[in-house]
Amino acid sequence: MAEADEQHETDDEAGPVREWLTDDEGRKIESAIVAEQLDLRYPTSEEAVVECARLDIPEGEVTALVGPNGSGKSTLLKSLSNHLEPEAGTVTLHGRDVQSLDQDELAREMGVLSQENESPGSITVEDLAYHGRYPHRGFFESVSDEDHAAVDDAIEMAGVGHLRDTELGQLSGGQKQLAWIAMVLAQDTDVLLLDEPTTFLDLHHQFRVLETVRQLNEHEDVTVAVVLHDIAQAARFADNLVAMREGELYDWGPPEQVVTEQLLADVFGVEARVEYEPELQILPKRALSE
Amino acid sequence: MASTHSTDATTDQRHGRSWFTGRLVAFCLASTALTAAAGLIQVSFGSYSMTITQAWSALVSPDIVLDPAVWNAFLLGGELPEMDNVPLIVWNIRLPRVLVAVLTGATLGVSGAIFQAVTRNELASPYILGVSSGAGLAVLLTLVVFSGLAPFLPLIAAAGGTVAFALVYAIAWKGGTSPVRLVLAGVIVGTVFQSLQTGVFFFADDLGVVQSAIAWTTGSLTGTDWEQVRLAILPAAFALLFALLGARQLNVLLLGERTAQSLGMRVERVRFLLSGVAILAASTAIAIAGIVGFVGLIVPHVVRNVVGGDYRRLMIGSIFAGPALMVVADVGARLGMGALPWFGPVQVPVGVVTGLIGGPYFLYLMRRQQQMGEI
Repeated sequence: MAEADEQHETDDEAGPVREWLTDDEGRKIESAIVAEQLDLRYPTSEEAVVECARLDIPEGEVTALVGPNGSGKSTLLKSLSNHLEPEAGTVTLHGRDVQSLDQDELAREMGVLSQENESPGSITVEDLAYHGRYPHRGFFESVSDEDHAAVDDAIEMAGVGHLRDTELGQLSGGQKQLAWIAMVLAQDTDVLLLDEPTTFLDLHHQFRVLETVRQLNEHEDVTVAVVLHDIAQAARFADNLVAMREGELYDWGPPEQVVTEQLLADVFGVEARVEYEPELQILPKRALSE
Repeated sequence: MASTHSTDATTDQRHGRSWFTGRLVAFCLASTALTAAAGLIQVSFGSYSMTITQAWSALVSPDIVLDPAVWNAFLLGGELPEMDNVPLIVWNIRLPRVLVAVLTGATLGVSGAIFQAVTRNELASPYILGVSSGAGLAVLLTLVVFSGLAPFLPLIAAAGGTVAFALVYAIAWKGGTSPVRLVLAGVIVGTVFQSLQTGVFFFADDLGVVQSAIAWTTGSLTGTDWEQVRLAILPAAFALLFALLGARQLNVLLLGERTAQSLGMRVERVRFLLSGVAILAASTAIAIAGIVGFVGLIVPHVVRNVVGGDYRRLMIGSIFAGPALMVVADVGARLGMGALPWFGPVQVPVGVVTGLIGGPYFLYLMRRQQQMGEI
């Protein structure tokens, strides 16, 4: 596990500021996605919604974006997947600017699962999974053996094999989410971006989703960036955390270093006790006054 | 793992062809049978009385079917060789009307299906993006004001519809469009053009012109013959072919723009191109039959209820169901009044019949379904 090389800049507003990650021997860790000098705003806003000097999503690791409501996590994720054009700054995927890539080229390298997904109620889980192969199929091409194999693997990994022929309209929220995950898995990408995949799910399905993502990362070396609401969950499943507050990055690094009682107070407005042995545990006590 | 491997193989075969269901085939066969039956009725009955045997034997008579001069006349506008009254009426007057109905039904059905996917609204019709009001205004202006251009009416109507569509897209564009913006722009353009169209009516001083205008704006197959078939057959074939090719893209569009973009689709481009195909189809129908209402709205609905929402099936089904609806409606339009004892053999515009079918159909749907308006 790499440790962050700290270069402190005491800034009371933003917390400790770090430069890029290096491992024990001081080598720079490769980043799958790098965002620099980002200024993100929505068409209707006059000020920047997110401002970030540099963000790294390390290759082959699970990075979780955490922060309270309105901190800009989803906005940041949207810019990483080229769903939101930055007012200023660049986002590069494996060294190439995401805006310079063709839509389908990008889709072959990066899979994205949005927070809310809609579909005709009559589509089956299997049909939805096959849609994940869209970037790999030419206009006139029919379904190939490779497509069949990818879909089968995806459905098995997401654990919806028994729901293969069921219509999406008949599934529970958790099962539907797993079906969407199967679609994104079938896309067979090196990078996966997930926007709050567990927010509306029951506990069982929350774990299923995160376990699936974890397995994907461990067995297939897929880089994952996931926005999570629950910092305890994030600390448990992610290799790196990026904490955001009011549109800016507060801190980032491995969970043991990022999750401190100070962070929970500053960013989440919560007084909590944090224990590091035997494993990272967060015990919230009460909300702090504004 | 051995057992899963063998099921994988059968699953592959299953999914490769699984969208082409037996249900779809049965539906298409039934639609074709209905079209043929209604077509035969159209050919056998009318103001020139002939027996059914006379009519059917004229249809299959080898002297006509195998005569290249005849087909030259029909398809290329050459001179028609001499023939007796019965075959002449059957082949030159009644049959082309059936063919025009088939072309109109297929194009309107497909156009409606595409627009329902592009606007993500089950209540969308081919006319939702301004085509009908643009065509209607063009027709009125030509008939009332620029009467010298009357011979070019079909092309002018189609052009009017296309211009209105371009205007709708331009209004809806703001760095891109969305289904909602398109529909709103369609309403804007539609209302303005519709009002102008009604205004032009007041400047018409000839009853014949007014009736002509009404026939155009309601949709009528009266007086259609091989000329309309020749006009429409190539654009219609083109539009239907591209609609079939684009059906898979529509399935992905239905997943929402964000998902479609995440999957690598250039959403704006695909949406515009498919709308263009739908406009071509609708304009073709308008050029030969006027603005026939409800067909483009009902056909995708019926097909969806029978074969499901997968657009690969929906498109094929619409190509078969559209003609069935149109030919049946045209039987009512042409012969319906004559069948009622207290009316004479007066023809009504087919748009009247489709409206009379469409209203009750939606009433039936509304009573049956819980959710309406969303696909």
